[in-house]
Amino acid sequence: MRKRLLAAGAVAVLALAACSSGGREDSGADDSGGGNAPGSSGYTIAFVTHETPGDTFWDKVRAGAEQAAKDEGVTLKYSNDPDAGKQAGLIQSAVDAKVNGIATTLVTPDALAGAVKSASGAGIPVVGLNAGLDQYRKLGALMYFGSDESLAGTSLGKRIAGEGAKHPLCVIHQTGSVSLESRCAGVRSAVPGTENLQVNGADDSAVTTTLQAKLAQDKSIDYIVTLGAPIALDAINAKQQASSSAKLVTFDLNQEMAKRIKDGQVEFAIDQQPYVQGYMAVTSLYLYLKNGNDIGGGGPVLTGPSFVDSSNIDKILPFTEKNTR
Amino acid sequence: MIPATGQVAAPGLARRRPGLRLRALLGRPEVGALAAAIVIFLFFLLVAPSFRSAASFLTVLYQSSTIGIVAVGVGLLMIGGEFDLSAGVVPVSAGLVNSMFCWYFGVNLWVGAVLSLVFCLLVGFLNGWLVMRTGIPSFLITLGTFFVLQGANLGVTKLVTGSVSSRDISAIDGFGSLQKVFASSFAAGSATVWITVLWWVLFVGLAAWTLQRTRIGNWIYAVGGSAESARAVGVPVVRTKIGLFMTVSFLGWFVGMHSLYRFNTLQAGNGVGNEFLYIIAAVVGGTLLTGGFGNALGAAIGAFIFGTTSLGIVYAGWDPNWFKAFLGVMLLLAVLVNTYVKRLSTAVSPREGGLT
Amino acid sequence: MTDTLAEHADRNLRRGEPLVELVGVGKNYGPIRALHGIDLRVGAGEVTCVLGDNGAGKSTLIKIISGLHPHTSGRLAVDGADRRFGSPREALDLGIATVYQDLAVVPLMEVWRNFFLGSELVSGRFPLAGMRIREMRRIADQELRKMGIVVSDIDQPIGTLSGGQRQCVAIARAVYFGARVLILDEPTAALGVKQSGVVLKYIAAARDAGLGVVFITHNPQHAYLVGDHFVILKRGATVLDAARGSVTLTDLTTQMAGGDELAELSRELERPS
Repeated sequence: MRKRLLAAGAVAVLALAACSSGGREDSGADDSGGGNAPGSSGYTIAFVTHETPGDTFWDKVRAGAEQAAKDEGVTLKYSNDPDAGKQAGLIQSAVDAKVNGIATTLVTPDALAGAVKSASGAGIPVVGLNAGLDQYRKLGALMYFGSDESLAGTSLGKRIAGEGAKHPLCVIHQTGSVSLESRCAGVRSAVPGTENLQVNGADDSAVTTTLQAKLAQDKSIDYIVTLGAPIALDAINAKQQASSSAKLVTFDLNQEMAKRIKDGQVEFAIDQQPYVQGYMAVTSLYLYLKNGNDIGGGGPVLTGPSFVDSSNIDKILPFTEKNTR
Repeated sequence: MIPATGQVAAPGLARRRPGLRLRALLGRPEVGALAAAIVIFLFFLLVAPSFRSAASFLTVLYQSSTIGIVAVGVGLLMIGGEFDLSAGVVPVSAGLVNSMFCWYFGVNLWVGAVLSLVFCLLVGFLNGWLVMRTGIPSFLITLGTFFVLQGANLGVTKLVTGSVSSRDISAIDGFGSLQKVFASSFAAGSATVWITVLWWVLFVGLAAWTLQRTRIGNWIYAVGGSAESARAVGVPVVRTKIGLFMTVSFLGWFVGMHSLYRFNTLQAGNGVGNEFLYIIAAVVGGTLLTGGFGNALGAAIGAFIFGTTSLGIVYAGWDPNWFKAFLGVMLLLAVLVNTYVKRLSTAVSPREGGLT
Repeated sequence: MTDTLAEHADRNLRRGEPLVELVGVGKNYGPIRALHGIDLRVGAGEVTCVLGDNGAGKSTLIKIISGLHPHTSGRLAVDGADRRFGSPREALDLGIATVYQDLAVVPLMEVWRNFFLGSELVSGRFPLAGMRIREMRRIADQELRKMGIVVSDIDQPIGTLSGGQRQCVAIARAVYFGARVLILDEPTAALGVKQSGVVLKYIAAARDAGLGVVFITHNPQHAYLVGDHFVILKRGATVLDAARGSVTLTDLTTQMAGGDELAELSRELERPS
């Protein structure tokens, strides 16, 4: 009886398997960007971040770093830990392993200072990325690639203020995150009527219903500012449910988001180009080691904010599909 | 309650009855939670003008149902004396298995849904089997499963899609029909009723029936109350407990299907933390942490309290940062009430009955 | 109450007919030898008392007969056929019911649920078929009343009953479900004099109804009141095996208290006068 059921199930699977579309496209082209794969340059670079596993943003940082390593023949050692103490430990272990260079995020400068200084002490060049704009010099990092969260927030705020925003809602999807808070603070500095809303970013239904409730409670909300692409997708759902006419703008970009910008459900996305942060951090170390180059003219190199809207989405859409933007 | 044939004890019984009835009522697991739910609901009606609409109420019900469906299973499992910490990520795993399998191989989504169901039942079976086989507390076993699934969710998704979120599957065959089953909604006046609310009611009803009216329910109470006693009178303890773990993962699969067909794409890192919400809903609903006591309605009320508060705070226009603190207070109160009620209902009364 | 017991007892039981027989039974838990070379015969209409100090192997012996743990050596025969139990269910199906001292019931469950636990009346074979609750409550109440246990509410958690009542409910349940062999694990250990008396009367009633009873106790007085046959265990082995006619209460008490060891102890503790 049981066997027969299994057999029937298997037949059904095969039958259904034969006829469907809409899935992965079997294109012959290699989507990894096709590096020229030169011989190894012999450098080993440690790449340390405070990535919380499961965030598409870090995916791109890492993709950029890996592509750069491939292009330049560098051996890349990627590691991450959202806990500041553990991240410092990861940097220290890279120093102990005597790598040629270290690229690290500096989201918690005080906690990381010791480890970064011990790297400089051991003569290992350190490059900052993503976070730590104000502190990277003090810690002894050579260069910095990233964007300024507060500046990004302000420029987003200025743009929607120009479009007439009075009462935007800034959606924070992670509790106690300094960088998310400073994005919202930036928006508020341009539009004083900005209100913050805390949601549970780990649960799409919860994000949707919380937003829906907020939109029902306060009809004067005219803009929704989300701080991550997945949250913006939930906001689209919530807007429909609450029949709200608020406009939606967001930080960060992913493939889905690019499609929504194209079909007009999202006004614009503000992008800090994580792929560039990863790529440039590795490349700058490579150039420094090989050629003594210094990028940025003594100052930080800003990878954002870069606006993606209906005017340039056609150009950018294909890149998002490759996970490079 | 008692046939009139009661011989000697009958007069004494008549005197004691009102007290008994009150005690029996207080002894019901969901009474405290029901009172709390009513108070909280009225409170938000009072302070939040935008809370006073059918649409808001249905939004609250929807939010409650997404927690409540799994919470009912977790409640049953806790009555059976076990925990499942993997319940939070199982829905995400379920959705990812379905989505990625079908996207990668380009097959009908129904195939993936069935495959994902089999996968989830297997996870539940493994949880139960390991707990029963090794005798290690389920807290530890399912903590292990939780980490394995969390890691596999991220790792496999990255491997298959090259990103940590699953791809859009709305163009694959079967999407429409699956969405009807798991994530459709219909309008009732100005409000939207999500189908999960109906499913939730169905699952709660089914669980309540099973617990109160069937032999399996009797076994669930027994394996949670005293597994050794249950085994001694011939209750299949191992099968009952494994069945409970599989029930939880089945309901997890269900919610996973809902998320997938409502949102099309899933973040591989999601779901972490929800396992505690399920446990909190069950405990607030009167389920005893040590097992053997509680009911399905209680877990449902617990989930409703969760939904009401999490959204009520937003409807009232307060800072939702406070929500967690409120949740903690609710949990502590619930545990205190439970402990008190348990002591009240199992205390040996010296004047009770007697041997003649 | 004797009537009730007789009413449910198997009518084919003939006094003295062997129901359970153990020959040279032993049990090892890994390298630890818990029990060895045990011979025991439980006859219909007889009470076999198993006495012994803590750690003598009494509980291991019960676990073997009741199917909780299989034996590792020797023979266990039920109605003449060799058996090796994989679960308590198998023993129950052969009419061997065990009432444990501390595990007799599930305290938080209602009296009637406890009474029918594991043998619920259902209205169909479908797993979610409803139980015949009204009938179950009526029967449980009736049976308990017939046996003189009056609970004020059949719906109250059984944990609210006294220890003696709980033991009696468990015995009544075993007999109601057609037990032919009743194993009682220290049923009087935690009870007062009066409640112990009630339990002992039950044991006698079960014997008179033709059931085979294994009565585990460390109280020789209680054993001698109802026993037909006495077995004393010490460190996993039999030290005394005698029928009622060939042993006195004093013998039992002395053996239980330690026999020769006790004599030696009394010499050591002798006060100079």
